[in-house]
Amino acid sequence: MKERNSGVDEAMKREAVKGNQLLGIVAALAGWAVPGLGHLLLRRWSKAAIYFFCIGGLACAGLAMRGGVFGPGAEDLFDRLGFFADLGAGIFYFLSHQLQAAGPDVAHATGDYGTRLFAAAGMLNFLTVLEAYDIGRGVEPR
Amino acid sequence: MNSLFGNLTHFGALLFFAIVVSVTFAFLSKRGFVERTKYTAWAFLAFLLVAIGIGWLLYPFSQ
Repeated sequence: MKERNSGVDEAMKREAVKGNQLLGIVAALAGWAVPGLGHLLLRRWSKAAIYFFCIGGLACAGLAMRGGVFGPGAEDLFDRLGFFADLGAGIFYFLSHQLQAAGPDVAHATGDYGTRLFAAAGMLNFLTVLEAYDIGRGVEPR
Repeated sequence: MNSLFGNLTHFGALLFFAIVVSVTFAFLSKRGFVERTKYTAWAFLAFLLVAIGIGWLLYPFSQ
């Protein structure tokens, strides 16, 4: 098992892009804008594909279930936290009105679940952004 | 998109959430196919067990 994993590590090191601070920031911004794009720039192909389809799928499911998307003008603290979480989804947040033609319907449980799925997609993307930043800087995540 | 996700049951939404988050966590925290597969299976089952456990615990309060 260790031999197999060390083989994977070696392959990743060979493939790794030499990092610097600027590359980390660019990868983080790209990863935030489009989930997985930061890893794509860093030539982490499988991670880029998985993150795009998982986070994009979660965001699209949330919108299809007619979940609510929080706007920037919220006065309530929880709404502000919701806005912060939703914003993490990047392009899916900015296209949410186009993707969700029927609009939100949080009066039903399904819409409420959709709200949580979309927020979860945003928070997951923040984690991938942090990883892209680390890889871009040349700090290999464990 | 609506035809794919719009008719999800609540349990279906739970399954979808659990598998997607488990896979993402596995890719974030583990290396190698075997390690990631093991972690995905473990996290997926943990999500299901916790959700069903909480459902059972809260059931008396729904009456």
